[in-house]
Amino acid sequence: MLDPAHGGTDPGARGAQGIRESDLLLDLTFQVRRALEAQGFQVLQTRSGNENPSFDDRSTLANAQRGAIFVTLHISSTGLPGTVRVYTMPDAFASVATGGVIGWDHAQAPYVTLSRRFGDAVQGQLAQRFKGSPNNSQSATIRQLRTTAAPAIAVELASVSVQDRADLDRMMPGVGDAIARGIADFRPTYVLPGEAGARP
Amino acid sequence: MSGSWRTWVVVGLGIAVVSAAIYFPILRRRVKTAAKIAEPSEEQARRELTQAITQNASDPVVKVKMFWTSSEDQSALAPVTIQLALSKDAALRAKQVINTLLAGPVDSDLRTLPPDAALLAFYLLPDGTAVADFSEALATSTPSGIQSEQLAVDSIARTLEANVPPVKRLKILIHGQELDTLAGHVDLTQLFIVDTKAAQRGAVSLEMPVKVAVPAVSSANVSPTLPAKR
Repeated sequence: MLDPAHGGTDPGARGAQGIRESDLLLDLTFQVRRALEAQGFQVLQTRSGNENPSFDDRSTLANAQRGAIFVTLHISSTGLPGTVRVYTMPDAFASVATGGVIGWDHAQAPYVTLSRRFGDAVQGQLAQRFKGSPNNSQSATIRQLRTTAAPAIAVELASVSVQDRADLDRMMPGVGDAIARGIADFRPTYVLPGEAGARP
Repeated sequence: MSGSWRTWVVVGLGIAVVSAAIYFPILRRRVKTAAKIAEPSEEQARRELTQAITQNASDPVVKVKMFWTSSEDQSALAPVTIQLALSKDAALRAKQVINTLLAGPVDSDLRTLPPDAALLAFYLLPDGTAVADFSEALATSTPSGIQSEQLAVDSIARTLEANVPPVKRLKILIHGQELDTLAGHVDLTQLFIVDTKAAQRGAVSLEMPVKVAVPAVSSANVSPTLPAKR
């Protein structure tokens, strides 16, 4: 499940050169989708035009798919241009829902460890392609990830502050390829939590 | 008699007119200067209003670790040690360090919080949960993005952790309200861990202290349930 963030009335990050995050994300999603389909993955999107579904609407689409993985795509306002970072929910979030019904608000809790492993796999691929990017994923408390019941990561390219959007366009095929390879690396270790041995 | 009386009146009025002509420009200048002093910018006025308790002469001056953006890596925080008069009272101390954090470092490029944001209120609950209420500028002026928003929150959490040990976790409100996100990404509905060491021991929960009991059901059930329609 690919999630081009923002859209509609929410343009996301905006650069001085009139670059709008929400517009660029559709192009980025197209590139990522192409790389994933080339590897034989089935790809769904939370939006394909200039709409702005709510965080819960986007999670609902992902949570209806069994054995899905979720990638929310972003372009930052700040950071070293030309780098890409992967974020997952912090480990502490995993402890909030133990021993009871896992509420919608904590849907990501059982997946935190899987998401971290998935994030590290993608970040490792990105680090090889984009100099200055970290080697491991980082933790961040991201609203979109919290309600998503699947291994879920946020991928953020830096940044809308570039002088020419072509700088970001050039990064997109590499980002797509890195995510596709990261998913392929992660796939053998993806076991559905709570269903011992069940493979998606 | 009447002639001299009239002369005196005319002379008296003449003196009054001349002295008024001399005094008026001086008075005008004085009013202008006074107006300049009494007219602080809107920003200053708000800061004075919201930051009434900043420094107290009787507070001991101590070394304080402030977490601002690293000068070497703009995606990370770096501690800067400064001297600050800090209260012994944990809530006051927290207010003082957050206000210092908002004031920003010497190099304004390394600031983590927008310059127009202000701390409106700060509470510390007995269980170590801190509630920090910021002005709307924190949400509207923080650059939208995972990295920029997470750095903003982390700078507050790490600075509190380093200087106010009783604070275990932090809730951020914007103008008294709970927002979904800071600027589109980082989740403000949850608590942020401040005491990371206690969190590693599992001693800090991200749940709000007052919560409704949830019926215990088999832990194998991991399918999330949809929230009730509001």
